[in-house]
Amino acid sequence: MKVPIGWLADFIDLPTRDPYELERILVSLGHEVEGIEEFGPSFDGVVVGRVEEVRPHPDADRIRFCRVDDGTVTRDVVCGAWNFEAGAVIAYAKAGSRLGTNMDQPLEVGSRKIRGIVSHGMIASARELGLGDDHDGIMVLNDLGAATVDDLGRPLEEVIGLGDVVLDVSITTNRGDCMGIRGLARELAAYWQVPLRDISPSFPTGPETSAFEVSIIDVEACPRFVAHQLDDVRIGPSPLWMQLRLLAIGQRPISNVVDVSNYVMWELGHPIHTFDADTISGRQVIIRRAEEGEKLETLDGVERALLAGDILVTDPSGPIALAGVMGGAFTEVSETTTSVLVEAANWHPPSILATSWRLGLRSEASARFERGVDPNLSALATARTVELVALTSGGVPRSRAVDCYPIPRRPWTVDLTARDVSRLLGPAPSFGDALSLLERLGFGMDRDGRSTRVTVPTHRADVTRPADLVEEIARLHGYDRFPDLVRHGRRGGLTPEQLAVRRLREALVGAGLTEAQTLSFIGQDDLDALGLPCEDSRRVTIRVKNPLREEEAILRTTLLPGLMGAMSRNAARGLKSVRLFETGRVFTARDDPDDPRIPFQPFHLAMVLSGPGVDAFAATGLVDLLARVADRRLELRQESLPGLHPGRGAVVTCGANDIGMVGELHPAAVRKFGLEGRVAVAEIGLGPLVSGSPSWVLEDVSAYPPMVFDLAFVLADTVPAGRLLEVVEGSAGRHLESVELFDEFRGASIPDYHRSLAVRITLRAMDHTISDEEAAPIGRGIAAAVADRLGGVLRGSM
Amino acid sequence: MELERLAGVVGDARARIGAASDLAELAAAESETLGRRSEIAVARRGIGRLAPDRRREVGRAINEAVGTLTAAVEDRRSVLQTEAENALLEQDRVDLTLPYGRPARGTHHLLTRTMEDVCDVFRAIGYEVAEGPELELAWYNFDALNTPPTHPSRFESDTMYVEPFDDRERGGPDELLLRTQTSPMQARFMEKNPPPVYVVVPGRVFRTDTWDATHSPVFHQIEGLAVDSDITFGDLKGTLAHFAREFFGVSARTRFVPHFFPFTEPSAEMLVWFNDEWLEMLGCGMVDPNVFEAVGYDPEEVTGFAFGMGVERLAMVRHGITDIRHFYDSDLRVLGQFR
Repeated sequence: MKVPIGWLADFIDLPTRDPYELERILVSLGHEVEGIEEFGPSFDGVVVGRVEEVRPHPDADRIRFCRVDDGTVTRDVVCGAWNFEAGAVIAYAKAGSRLGTNMDQPLEVGSRKIRGIVSHGMIASARELGLGDDHDGIMVLNDLGAATVDDLGRPLEEVIGLGDVVLDVSITTNRGDCMGIRGLARELAAYWQVPLRDISPSFPTGPETSAFEVSIIDVEACPRFVAHQLDDVRIGPSPLWMQLRLLAIGQRPISNVVDVSNYVMWELGHPIHTFDADTISGRQVIIRRAEEGEKLETLDGVERALLAGDILVTDPSGPIALAGVMGGAFTEVSETTTSVLVEAANWHPPSILATSWRLGLRSEASARFERGVDPNLSALATARTVELVALTSGGVPRSRAVDCYPIPRRPWTVDLTARDVSRLLGPAPSFGDALSLLERLGFGMDRDGRSTRVTVPTHRADVTRPADLVEEIARLHGYDRFPDLVRHGRRGGLTPEQLAVRRLREALVGAGLTEAQTLSFIGQDDLDALGLPCEDSRRVTIRVKNPLREEEAILRTTLLPGLMGAMSRNAARGLKSVRLFETGRVFTARDDPDDPRIPFQPFHLAMVLSGPGVDAFAATGLVDLLARVADRRLELRQESLPGLHPGRGAVVTCGANDIGMVGELHPAAVRKFGLEGRVAVAEIGLGPLVSGSPSWVLEDVSAYPPMVFDLAFVLADTVPAGRLLEVVEGSAGRHLESVELFDEFRGASIPDYHRSLAVRITLRAMDHTISDEEAAPIGRGIAAAVADRLGGVLRGSM
Repeated sequence: MELERLAGVVGDARARIGAASDLAELAAAESETLGRRSEIAVARRGIGRLAPDRRREVGRAINEAVGTLTAAVEDRRSVLQTEAENALLEQDRVDLTLPYGRPARGTHHLLTRTMEDVCDVFRAIGYEVAEGPELELAWYNFDALNTPPTHPSRFESDTMYVEPFDDRERGGPDELLLRTQTSPMQARFMEKNPPPVYVVVPGRVFRTDTWDATHSPVFHQIEGLAVDSDITFGDLKGTLAHFAREFFGVSARTRFVPHFFPFTEPSAEMLVWFNDEWLEMLGCGMVDPNVFEAVGYDPEEVTGFAFGMGVERLAMVRHGITDIRHFYDSDLRVLGQFR
């Protein structure tokens, strides 16, 4: 909300007008200042002048010749405007003055010959002076109540009181009471402990005449409706002082009645609506909720379809305004309006919020009603509006307002104890000081034994509990004045799972992979690109109801699309060697075993690798690295997997569980992501890899030398190397230290569809040196097991 | 042998040894001067034939000479060996500025690193780390956090909801949404754990925000919660000021100003003075009694503070990053700069 400092000064004697000091204080009270701007003249050298004489130009029809008195001399000026006559007090831009000085290229006003007559300067319009959009004529200052002949020759900015600093204040959603100059002034008055200078509107009233009849059908929707009619209204421009204030807060002056509504809303924080009283049927206003299917043309000319729940102002003929949001087109105040019905009503905040958001009609008025407006302010707001409309339009108010307020809001009380304050704020401020802080903010006190009954003023609907009072105390005391105490907790370790995840990430980074973070959303196209069959579990997805884009409409069931997208973007930038990994949640449609109310969202780890020399082994090697880091035994069960190269893919198993997959992406999928060459991938559920990480105990190492020997077996191609290693490990006995596969060979000496696999076996005992004699039967036992279980034939001898 | 002659032999032998220019020549010189056929060896063998009164004198002189020459050979050998090795090493010279054998090293994502940094600051003062689900119940994301049913943050213009995917009715507090903050974990954690509670919660959150330099539909937050029998506003301030100093540097200054959040009362925003300006860095406050009631804590028995901060914002401020999209584009030229 834009807050001109000069306007604040209407309500309090400001100890300072320094905008930065005001900013500091407002911020300390919880009102963020988002900007500070100057609202000053955009001209230089313009003075108040008086038109002494107006004559037709001898050589032109559309311009006139004037004599203008600038208080010292009278000069010839040619003017193209027709909205004034001799005697008008005007803004005289003398030769040498400049207009638009806060623009890059101000206009230098000179003396120039126009149709044979030298014009010494010009008579300025509002737009030329940067004081509004009006360019239909020049500014007639005496008509605007801005200057008189006594002001001749004085600088215009001084006469009209131009020049203020405007603070742009952001009001939090709980503080509807601060959505007006008066409300913020009340905050500052509490801060400085100075009195608030309140307004007390007064106006002459006309004769008693028949009043509007107001009936409220739904009191929750409309707790209060105040209406006051003015007759003999003449619509015209509002006075310049009002226009300048509206310009300062970024509101465009329109006409006296509209400008007054905006002015009062800004001043008091209470939105005002005005109707052309003659357009309301039956002199009757009924407040009710809309029925489904009702329609109203709002004053922006759009026909709005209404829903049950929208609040309407109606007359016997139907809706005339969408309450709190926008008026109706038919009852709008226009240039020909002579009777105005001023409305200051109070609306149910959640209803206004729902309607204004649904229709995209968020306005200064709805912003205030959404936050909540004090219904007890409505009478004052009405009176202030009537006062100003009467003042600016010549309108005559009827003798009394209609005030429909079935259940007045009365101040409520909150019991506050010293403990309520000290347990949240500590020893300072003392309870006594705390209570006086509340008093400064307008809260009432009634001490009653140990607790104090605090009366909350009705504009503070946000204060209903002791904690709310404590915030008020803390705010006015000053957050800066509380001590800084470092609060220590009870334990600061990571769980074994958290530690394991950090280690896995470290290991992959150490192995040259770069961590990516991709979006949690994927599109149907991504699942298609991976070539997943319809029964694949990754196709059981949850869709976002309100996605930003169709490509991001599904919650990811796999990390691969995100990483593949990252790889292809990098490839497009000329980076061919890409090694990325990500850890993150995927979303299943199964129940979470720990909380069946929500779907299971396991953490996955995935990697994608491309570039020279990359093939499936790049990924299997990294899976092996993960196994070693996590101290888990992971095995591969090679099979043809969806999305993967049919001969280069394997399920990763951990004990009896399948926990992921590894291999090369299917070339068709690689192409779908706009890539070429081999892309190695792996995706593993992190849970089984890190859950209940086992503790380890140091195993003693042997002081004796190892016994190393090699065995080579001829095996059918269908026997995976991993099976050979398993069988060797299972049959080598307790002295086995390691088994390592070091050669794969095919050739003339090996039968077709077979290969030779050579393993190096290292035995070592804790308590003795293993001799050849001891090793020989172990070797034979291994060979027998391989022959028996895998059909392998021993090639060489030990 | 005459002792005079011995002196001459030793002198000649030393010269020969010293003249050996490589290890082969030295071996020949050694054999010639100290070997079985050398004059000294011959003389040593002839000692027995000397008159008894001279044996002792001559024997000592010969032993001395052998010792001298043996040492000379060893000295020379050592010199020649060093020379030979030096020559070999000279041949072995390589250009070490050639980039051979560069060990692979990736990088952690800056967001991960930032979350770990923040968590580690709090771990060091005794806070544990917990994580919660991303697809969350409206109850935890809003209701338990004292957010009214009509609050605009619940609108689809702010919050992403999901379409029905099974036969269950999920309405009101049971509605599933992508959590808009890490705060729901406050309620989940308190439901599961009796006080005292000291915990930080890093994680991914979601809003219906279109991409621009400072907005992303996916981003990260870290929530913190401390609940005990005697926590006051000063604890909140001091703990978060401590965090700011640890994260931004010891000279980081902080300022707390009132703010509004539905789930804290009083509420505050922490500003940090960094690069010559006050930056809004996180929201915080004393846990609202309604939140305690929602999770079954007695608001008369405990007090606490909570805070929440944007991980992207922390990283952007600390590392001078001006576009949030850098975090999610996975451009290796950017990721590679993360440390």
